[in-house]
Amino acid sequence: MKLLKTSRKVHKWLMLFIGIQFVIWSVSGAYMVIFDIDYIHGDSLVVQHRDIIDDKQINFPLKQVLARYPQAESLSLGSFVKQPVYRFSHDGQQYMVSAVNGDLLSPITESQAKAAARYYYSGSGIITAAQLISAHPPSELSGRHLPVYRVNFDDFASPSLYISALSGKVVTKRHEFWRGFDLMFILHVMDYQDGDPDNKLLLVSSLLALFAAMAGLVLVYFKVFRKKVPGADGNSQNPVATQGQLNRESV
Amino acid sequence: MQYLKALHKWTSVVVGIQLLLWLISGFYFVIMDHQDARGSVYRVRPPVQQIDHQRLLEPGLILSRQQASVGLQQITLLGIPYYLLTHEQGLYRHFTNSYSLVNAYNGELTRINEAMASSLARSSYNGPGTVVSALRLAPPVADLPKEQNSVWQVNFDDDINTSVYLDAGSGHVIGHSNDDKRFADFFFMLHFMDYGSVKGFNNIQIIFFAVVTLFLSLTGFIWTINLIANGRYALPFVGGNKAIELIDKNDLSIGVRRISSRQTLLDGLIEHDIALPSSCGGGGTCGRCKIVTDPIVAVGAADKHYFTDHELALGYRLACQHKGAEVKRLKLLDVVNARKHQLILVGSEFISPSIKELRFKPADGSKLDYRAGAYMRFFIPAAKGCSVPLRLPEAFQPHWHHIEQLEYQHLACSRSYSLANYGGRQELVFTIKYQSAPNNRVLPGAGSSYLCNLEPGKTIEAAGPFEDFYALPGASVTAGAEQQQKKTRVMIGAGAGMAPLKALIYEQLEKLNNKEALYFYFGAGTEQDLIYYREFTELQQQYPQFHYLPTLSRASDSWPGARGYVQQGLKDKLTNMDCLENVEFYLCGPTNMMSETIAMLRACGVEAENIAFDDFSR
Ligand code: FES
Repeated sequence: MKLLKTSRKVHKWLMLFIGIQFVIWSVSGAYMVIFDIDYIHGDSLVVQHRDIIDDKQINFPLKQVLARYPQAESLSLGSFVKQPVYRFSHDGQQYMVSAVNGDLLSPITESQAKAAARYYYSGSGIITAAQLISAHPPSELSGRHLPVYRVNFDDFASPSLYISALSGKVVTKRHEFWRGFDLMFILHVMDYQDGDPDNKLLLVSSLLALFAAMAGLVLVYFKVFRKKVPGADGNSQNPVATQGQLNRESV
Repeated sequence: MQYLKALHKWTSVVVGIQLLLWLISGFYFVIMDHQDARGSVYRVRPPVQQIDHQRLLEPGLILSRQQASVGLQQITLLGIPYYLLTHEQGLYRHFTNSYSLVNAYNGELTRINEAMASSLARSSYNGPGTVVSALRLAPPVADLPKEQNSVWQVNFDDDINTSVYLDAGSGHVIGHSNDDKRFADFFFMLHFMDYGSVKGFNNIQIIFFAVVTLFLSLTGFIWTINLIANGRYALPFVGGNKAIELIDKNDLSIGVRRISSRQTLLDGLIEHDIALPSSCGGGGTCGRCKIVTDPIVAVGAADKHYFTDHELALGYRLACQHKGAEVKRLKLLDVVNARKHQLILVGSEFISPSIKELRFKPADGSKLDYRAGAYMRFFIPAAKGCSVPLRLPEAFQPHWHHIEQLEYQHLACSRSYSLANYGGRQELVFTIKYQSAPNNRVLPGAGSSYLCNLEPGKTIEAAGPFEDFYALPGASVTAGAEQQQKKTRVMIGAGAGMAPLKALIYEQLEKLNNKEALYFYFGAGTEQDLIYYREFTELQQQYPQFHYLPTLSRASDSWPGARGYVQQGLKDKLTNMDCLENVEFYLCGPTNMMSETIAMLRACGVEAENIAFDDFSR
């Protein structure tokens, strides 16, 4: 009986402080598990085009690229909206050069970014805005992708594609549900200090929550799994119902 | 609120264990070493090697010789430059991809074999182990549940069993795994309930549990808000007393009294010598301790039982069901003339195997006046109890043989007991039955065992006397009640239902000198249980108008008197009694005996107003 009483007290008091967090955990947790993560990640926002590189189009040989940019590193040959391009870094800078004629394509213009966005976007919405972000990225974008064009579409859940101004690739995409997910994740891990791995708040909360839940389980055990003990006196778990019975034990 | 609480309870049954797993694994994620959990303790970047740009073959040439590609990347593996051709590209690296690796200097197609995989793995590893095996695995791979491509697994014989994974097509190091990471993955599996599927945390079981948990936490949240609103979060240590404004029946303020927030209003008020009527002693079963307070005070089950919805809305509540912390103001409807007293136990004696006669005196030497049939409420402190009475007389020991001797702890409580004598005397006499437990899962009655085991000379607090059951008004009063003189009285008692009747009988005969006929039917089991037999027999000789009719249900052969149950004897008597309207009945005893008797009396035409009963089972 002592354990039951203590548990009830512990549960009641701890939940006063940690109860809100339980609600936050369960709401954010439910959000995150219910929405399909692939959808959340915007996988359905982009099409993975299979653009075969036609070797006959490559009129600008690698030799010439290397002659122009002797320190080129991480070389690759791919396509930018169907046109074959070389991509490489040189002196810590990203470059994109046309493999057809050797024109320097990077950084791309806004209209190129829009064209790329429309090409990769799987939906049918129209572009509402395109904006070059070269500093202070929004929280949903990692700084290492800068500079980048953010292209917004007028579509369900307001999707945005982020197109790198230097490589012309889709670096990331977002829509409202992903933004919601990001917020939920922050709430779920109580990361209110921007990615601080030493999250004392979460540590303390989860420890308190653990105690509160264990006390709750003790209550479940007593309330549900153990038969009621109708004490011959008022010390039972259900004082109203049983206390009266023998309250005046004798006269 | 009741449904909400039930929902809270049952949802916790469903998700309880998983919730604990979530919290334990979640807690583990906070305290775990993130470096270890990633498996990258022994992971290094392979050294960057200079390549000779002059010797690189033209990509266009390579593309024309190989199957169609969507991309070409110049990479270096183990110091040798390669062109990595991508033929199929998934949205993510772990999606199905297809690659070819071509030597960038000589255009030779290269396949990653066991030796190359081992060397590549070693170049990303700086631990103390050596390669023990390299295996080409097709998905699914236990350490990489999401991987959809073939991989090379290169195992090292270090202390934490590192395995390095390489993409079999590109030679790209996917990652390291080791015991630390596998341990962390185990917790991730628990947290995401991801038992063997590749749906990650979108699996059906977690969605189900998440929704149930949502209900659990929301109901708990509302419950907590409700508790706060009802003042149930009063700190037990701080502000132990709460100022409560008292208002009398006429809506006039009586002033402010401090009442302990943890005590019931019923017990708190008696501290100020304000006694509310109560016959159950705070059990919530008599419905008499009525007060009016703010309607926002939570309605308990007992309140609901005794008040109409309209009354509840007006703020009617039972004082014994609410704590000081819950109310700010309360209106007293009915105050009984009773106070709290310190009583000293002066005598304690067994009069049957399970009934004791206890004699108390007020500690201040005063005499309490009250009508016979009154009772007092004892405040039993929290204490250790014992299932078998202490200092049991030898003759009564066999009665207790079958009871297991055990000690138990009980909480403070209050219990009411009827007085066995009339008021204005030196002593307050009680006959208290030792309430043993029907089985060993139930504790014996805390009040009776505490009082019966109390040492003479010790004191205890009690409130009262409360007059609730007494000889009907007018009938017993001496002066100017001519017209009432003709009433015959029949007392019916059984078992432990002795005290108030005994007090009434002595009041009538000894104190009031009432000459009218007085019958006393008393039922018991055996001769041993027949308490005060000698006294009543003597009384019968002394007062001819008094008739004592004991009935035993389990009498020995030598018993000269009536056998069976009291009700039966009474029935015979009733049939030859005329003028039933001039007979008053007083009942006290076990519930069954009382309800049967009342039914029988009513059937014989006795008016309800002529039946008084003291239902001590309520
Ligand atoms: S004392 Fe409150 S209901 Fe009996």
